[in-house]
Amino acid sequence: MVASALTGYGQLVRNASQGVWVEERPAARDGHDDHDQGSSHAPTEPDARFTLANERTFLAWNRTALALVVAGLGIVQLLPPFPGVPWGRHVLGLPLIALGAAVSVISYGEWRRTQAALRRGAPLPRSLLPRVLAGTIAGIAALSAAVLLVSAAR
Amino acid sequence: MIPEDMEQLDPGLARERTKLAWARTSIAFAAVGAAILKKEPVAGLIVLAMTPLLWGLGRFVEHTAERPELQSRRLIAVTVTVVTVSVLAMVIAFVGHPPTSLRDLLPLHG
Repeated sequence: MVASALTGYGQLVRNASQGVWVEERPAARDGHDDHDQGSSHAPTEPDARFTLANERTFLAWNRTALALVVAGLGIVQLLPPFPGVPWGRHVLGLPLIALGAAVSVISYGEWRRTQAALRRGAPLPRSLLPRVLAGTIAGIAALSAAVLLVSAAR
Repeated sequence: MIPEDMEQLDPGLARERTKLAWARTSIAFAAVGAAILKKEPVAGLIVLAMTPLLWGLGRFVEHTAERPELQSRRLIAVTVTVVTVSVLAMVIAFVGHPPTSLRDLLPLHG
């Protein structure tokens, strides 16, 4: 037993010898477990709950990516042009759209890495995405300010 | 047979939550498609056509436990779809108005 996490259901316990997460319930330790027939995990596969959580994380990042694409498209198509800065909308919108594609691709890579770590029972890799997202959004905010300043100066 | 407690079938309701996440994602696609549809009907229809695909993929959540190798293909499909939408959006943004009116493509008005 290396590490454990409370799930409110049973206790998820990492089995050190096999490196997989198994669920231990108090009843199981007493040898009076009548629930366990349904949850037979293949020895190499991690607990389905972690796999599913990983999948949900991936899906959430992809919804974020879609939102970025829509935001970029909205800026390019729906905003009135900045006076004096004809390229302003494209400068702001296109990076957002590209960031959407990048977030989607990176999130797939992270899903894979996390899946591999779960399978090995290794520590989860650190995610790159929050930094990518925060950095690009901060950059676009700065860019917006610059476009507005140029527009006001003309 | 209905168990006394859903938790026995689906601990933490993880499977249910994952199905809902797929549903949210496909609804997001539908919303994006509808938003594009207004100005660019062709591109909007392409995005809308991807929605049932994603919805269908989400229905396989039940089987991920038995077929782990299929899971990565399902998720690749999501990434490919988002990247496609992004490329479409860039084309729309650059070209402005490609032959986007359905009337240009189909002789609706005889």
